[in-house]
Amino acid sequence: MGELMRRLRMLFRGRRFQAELEEEMRLHLELREQEHAEQGLHAAAARRAAYQKFGNATLIRERSYTAWGWGWLESLIRDVRFALRQLWKTPGFTAAAVLMLALGIGANAAIFTLVHAVLLKHLPVTDPKLLVRVGDWADCCQNSGPNTWHNGDYSMFSTDTYEQMKKNTPEFEELAAMQAGFEYRPVVMRRDGSQEVAKPRMGEFVSGNYFRMFGLRAAAGRLLSDADDVAGAPVIAVMSYVTWKDAYNSDASVVGSTFWMNTRPVTVVGVAPEGFYGDRISSTPPDFYLPIATIPDQAGGKGFRDPTQNWLDIIGRVKPGTALGPLQEKLSAELKQVHSTDPEFTAADIAKTHLVLTAGGAGTQSMQKDYASNLKLLLGISGLVLLIACANMANLLLVRGMGRKAEMSVRTALGAMRGRIVRQLLTESLLLAGMGGAAALAVSYGGARLLLMLAFPGEQHVSISASPSLEVLWFALGVSMLTGVMFGVAPALMGAKAAPADVLRSGARTTAGGASLLQRTLVVLQAALSVVLLVGAGLFAQSLGRLQHADMKLESKNRYIVHINAQAAGYKDDQVAALYRTLEDRFHAIPGVVKVGVSTFTPMEGNNDGYGIQLVGQQDVYRDATNIIVNPEYFDSVGTRVLMGRGITAQDTATTPHVAVVNEDFVKAIFKPGENPIGHRFIAGGNAATPYEIAGVVQGTSYTDVRKIGAHPMYFGALTQPSEAGYAGAIVLETSYPVSDMEQIAGRTLMGINPNLALQKFERFDAQIADQFTHERMLATLMTLFGGLALLLATVGLYGVTSYAVARRTTEIGIRMALGAHRGGVVAMVMCSALLQTVLGILIGIPVAYYGVTLVRSQLYELTTVSGGALAVAIGALLVAACAAGIIPAQRAASVDPARALRAE
Amino acid sequence: MQRDEIPPGTLYLLILKTLARYGVLHGYEIANSIQQSSDEVLQVEEGSLYPALQRMLIKGWVTAEWGVTAGNRRARYYKLTAAGRKRLAVEVSQFERVMGAITRVIQTT
Repeated sequence: MGELMRRLRMLFRGRRFQAELEEEMRLHLELREQEHAEQGLHAAAARRAAYQKFGNATLIRERSYTAWGWGWLESLIRDVRFALRQLWKTPGFTAAAVLMLALGIGANAAIFTLVHAVLLKHLPVTDPKLLVRVGDWADCCQNSGPNTWHNGDYSMFSTDTYEQMKKNTPEFEELAAMQAGFEYRPVVMRRDGSQEVAKPRMGEFVSGNYFRMFGLRAAAGRLLSDADDVAGAPVIAVMSYVTWKDAYNSDASVVGSTFWMNTRPVTVVGVAPEGFYGDRISSTPPDFYLPIATIPDQAGGKGFRDPTQNWLDIIGRVKPGTALGPLQEKLSAELKQVHSTDPEFTAADIAKTHLVLTAGGAGTQSMQKDYASNLKLLLGISGLVLLIACANMANLLLVRGMGRKAEMSVRTALGAMRGRIVRQLLTESLLLAGMGGAAALAVSYGGARLLLMLAFPGEQHVSISASPSLEVLWFALGVSMLTGVMFGVAPALMGAKAAPADVLRSGARTTAGGASLLQRTLVVLQAALSVVLLVGAGLFAQSLGRLQHADMKLESKNRYIVHINAQAAGYKDDQVAALYRTLEDRFHAIPGVVKVGVSTFTPMEGNNDGYGIQLVGQQDVYRDATNIIVNPEYFDSVGTRVLMGRGITAQDTATTPHVAVVNEDFVKAIFKPGENPIGHRFIAGGNAATPYEIAGVVQGTSYTDVRKIGAHPMYFGALTQPSEAGYAGAIVLETSYPVSDMEQIAGRTLMGINPNLALQKFERFDAQIADQFTHERMLATLMTLFGGLALLLATVGLYGVTSYAVARRTTEIGIRMALGAHRGGVVAMVMCSALLQTVLGILIGIPVAYYGVTLVRSQLYELTTVSGGALAVAIGALLVAACAAGIIPAQRAASVDPARALRAE
Repeated sequence: MQRDEIPPGTLYLLILKTLARYGVLHGYEIANSIQQSSDEVLQVEEGSLYPALQRMLIKGWVTAEWGVTAGNRRARYYKLTAAGRKRLAVEVSQFERVMGAITRVIQTT
């Protein structure tokens, strides 16, 4: 230990060390010289004898110094200093290389950060590998009856089914259930005794063993227990750590205090652990966790107790060593058993009934499903960009390496060891790569933030961090180092290998050559990849355009959507009819309001509430259809036109016949072409007691996804008649002119009706529609960014190679011009070679682009192959870029003064 | 007079022994006393003392301190440490073992 300390001390007093050693040795020599002189030698001889006896002073000095073991560090510092000087001398090259690495690697690291966070990361819980999810796709939010759209594969279950599975499956150490669609049903929360305004918060209903199943411990107070999750137990909640910290300042008195949730008291008994963001990655993670047993009281979850209503995701912790295959069979059999008691299910439905177990370590994975294909696509694209950046980097370094052939030869000729030269070059490359890697990290952080913003516009609490993980760090560093070493050292080494005399003799006198074949190949490759990316960017932009301009069969101009939660405000079945009337009246009284629609949900909101439909008298016709209940003005308010019969009217009341208006997709799905649907009767959700009579047909307005236009059967009931839907939660306001402060007006109006009736969400109708294109917009933006990046990189690469070629051929061009070549001819010659490489790249890129489109076809709307427009734009952009890259070197070539060029020989 | 190079690896031993005998010495004095003690037979390439002294400093066998010579010159004086004394014993016994073995080989007839 002491030895290391002594060595370190020496390191920090290097200069004094040298001086002291010098003094010591000088004294020795002088004393010896003096001794010889005293023995009678004259001065010169005495000195010579002293030196002779002493030995090689320089060598001794060096040996004394290296004894301390810091030689390597010294030479490293010297190498780094020298490398920095070299890089500083060529700022253009250094900046280009660092920028290239930063963009290429940074983009990759940014995307990888997200891929890692969304697709690869486990939940922050105990032993996530033992978690198993019952189900394999993201279903939401509540449904019943046979599932035809996933061919009998169930992922969402009823409360009863969950209870049965829990009881009958000892293979699970714990089996927990959680509300699948909590994101669509915020609860309204206000702390008792405080002045705070009641706010919509995310409340997720979960089973009592939820936290125990995840193996979590409370940050404060306690978590849920089985005793909390029984009917009649005191109503309690667990608060999320983020909410505790942000909204309540980590106030310890929150635990044990009373909150008003949906107008009823709830005791907060504890805080969930820090970092736990629920059972899925979500842009709106739960603020409160509540026991399932309290849902009928609290959220008024109509039908959640109904054994046929599926609304729960299930995740369990299996006992170690459990085989999943037999377990899956067993659970499927249990589910068949459940379905066999439900009259809605035919024998064929029951035969198809099954479920699939999947890894549950990452949670219920609704977001993973949504984003997986997008992220994979982006990963592929950014890989292409990295490839271009590497090719470019290689090109730059090749140019530099060849330019330094002479330097290497001089060094070799002067006696530098090969190893020493390689070490020096390696240092330089690694330094460059290191700088690029560091810059890339900055780019990656910014890029990941940008991606998050694009993916979740306006969200505050996304449980994904933009800061790059350790894996990303290593990835970025590794790639940059590899590129640097591969392309930085190899050419220089080849240079150093050549006999120095030959290289020095030939000097700059080269006529042929210019840029090497390898360099040109790299440029062609870049151009080809750019074409692919630009075509991709064009296609995604086109796809987005088509999506946004698709005929959604609605009107969004001067329309506003107000969301309320009547259950949360404490309304009962016998009170809502009056509430609806009040809403209509009060909102109609607002100046400028033309129509007031009231419904369960609205077009392009993303919500869905599906039921099985059977025509009366035709039991074999079975379809799923979405149900909405609406008031008479609803269709006008959203711009859906009535095609046949009539819409819902004020005459449809609780005492008149039970009617429904269906959309044209419903007609297409259930009736034969030309058949008149009016007057036919159907039952929904197996409820044979109250069949609907079809009173009219409306347009197939798009409610969830533009891609589903024409294939989304829906039926609309009257607000005032019995139905399977819950309470209306959406108010659509159509005004005759834009009202900028509609949000405040709506809030005040609701307050005036009932202070508990909080405004849960307010949006302009067109903004709500635009929200549905977030994914597509993100993809189109990123593709355009990447396409632009690729184009930029390719341009820089082409410019580099062309100007290098021009520089190498200065003499040749001088001779040509001396022999009478025109300036125009020289320009044409240079431009020709630049364009030739680009055109070659385009020719290679086009078929690749065609192939690439087949891979991403599923993510494009109404586009199945490369469109002429996208192709033309890509080729045009690349040709313009090639001209831009070629024109500067070409003009430099044309301005070569023949006399000077020849004299330079 | 014939002078012999010192056997390899014995420089430490010589320096340690010299310091043990005379206490505090500077480099020149060490070189001189090795020569004198060996009746001028052993010749050290004088410069090589210095790298050796540095290595011994690293090992902690000696410590160095600046002082003033009789001729009023600044000089670095070396002194044996406890670790140095131990090392001397090791070096001596090692040397004797080797020398004894060599002697036995030579004297076997």
